[in-house]
Amino acid sequence: MIADHGRFDVVVIGGGSAGMAAAITAARSGARTILIERHGYAGGMGTASLVHSFCGLYLLRREPGAVIANPGFCGEIEQRMSAATGIGPQRMGRLDVLPQHPVEFVRIADEMLAAEPMLETLFHAEVCGIERDADEWRISLTHRTDCTRLASSSIVDASGDAVVAAWLGRECAVAPAEKLQRPAYVFGVRCAAAIDEAARLRISGRLCEGIREGLLPPEALGLTFRASGRLGEVFGTLDLTGNMNGRDFDPLDASCLSGLEFTGRQVAAAVVRYLAGHDATWSDSYISHWPARAGIRESRRWVGEYVLTGEDLLESRHFDDEIALATWPMEMRETAKGPKLRFPTEDLPAGIPLRCLKPAGIDRLFVAGRCISADHEAQASIRVMGTCFATGEAAGRAAAG
Amino acid sequence: MRATKNKAPNPTELIDWLNDEGLVELDWDFPEEGDLIAAGLDSMAVMQLVVAVEDFFGVELTPDNLTRTNLESPRKLAALIASKMS
Repeated sequence: MIADHGRFDVVVIGGGSAGMAAAITAARSGARTILIERHGYAGGMGTASLVHSFCGLYLLRREPGAVIANPGFCGEIEQRMSAATGIGPQRMGRLDVLPQHPVEFVRIADEMLAAEPMLETLFHAEVCGIERDADEWRISLTHRTDCTRLASSSIVDASGDAVVAAWLGRECAVAPAEKLQRPAYVFGVRCAAAIDEAARLRISGRLCEGIREGLLPPEALGLTFRASGRLGEVFGTLDLTGNMNGRDFDPLDASCLSGLEFTGRQVAAAVVRYLAGHDATWSDSYISHWPARAGIRESRRWVGEYVLTGEDLLESRHFDDEIALATWPMEMRETAKGPKLRFPTEDLPAGIPLRCLKPAGIDRLFVAGRCISADHEAQASIRVMGTCFATGEAAGRAAAG
Repeated sequence: MRATKNKAPNPTELIDWLNDEGLVELDWDFPEEGDLIAAGLDSMAVMQLVVAVEDFFGVELTPDNLTRTNLESPRKLAALIASKMS
């Protein structure tokens, strides 16, 4: 017996930064909306994977001072997060980013979702089937052993993995395994030591020593530490190749992801144990927080009415139907050895056309977040949470319209 | 100018070598006194640097060697490597 969960104007699949923006915007536009999220909270990479910076919120500029690129939802998030953490935008090299705390993000997302009377949020649910029936979408959900069904006029695919494309058997794109942006395993550490530049350099030296002595695995070379903004708390970010047991990285393969989770925890635990024993300032440190899942930067993407390209971003191109600005440089992470940033020629943002949010030839279906229609290079810019909020907001508005 | 394996590099050779190793992207006219850390030699790149220096020049950089003073410019870093080799 399959229970009927009712009929909605808009169903949003995935409650990450794009999906929460889409769902809240659709509900505010007057659409009866439901948000489907597999975890017990929204926020996606920014909560479940502990990614602790909002990138892509601000314009690229040489002058001091951060300026929001896409006002609206991004401005609201910025204001709520800054109020919670007491930290405003920080300039890192040529870029402004907003440090964010995943624990605060969970609470902020809860408050924003709960404040919308037209929005229902369903945690612990995954889509397990989508069909088109006349002018209606029929969506099947699974929750442990239960199945429910719901109907909607419009869908927003904010799954990050283009799951709707897979269920519908539609065209999608994935970069070759060797080019995929590498995943990151982020974890929280209780650590009394200050994490300033001198400490970071010294820790780098200690980790190299540990690898040389055979006490740490070579994967520790992909690790950086950053202060969380809370007293005595640090985040470690470990870039991994994602190649597991002799097989190439595949962000859609559960075996590969399982290996990634094991490896991330093994390396993190070994490093923190090593530092506690070898660096006086780390003697009382311990791991305080595991992510619910490893951070994925790139996965399967939709092929839409337009495919945004790396060249569009380099040339800062604009479009008549643009719905948001892409401001983050193309942050290539094709190796686990740190980022390579590609900036636009003129330090100006590029437009993201609505056509990138519309799968070709399918009505009442929109895409938001990291799986919108973009090539591998452009995806390296638009995948960041600041831009995902903006494409989510646009998709929610379009779906409700 | 190409750096030579197991031979102390001069600052110009070191700039080319840093680029060749993919440790940090430096313009062809990056100055010998230029700020490597501001140019992107972050903590992760520093670890790759330690491994690459050991492999190519045959010297081990210790945690105490990894200070801003020692790393801040191609000139300083070349001097550090040279001092470890002598």
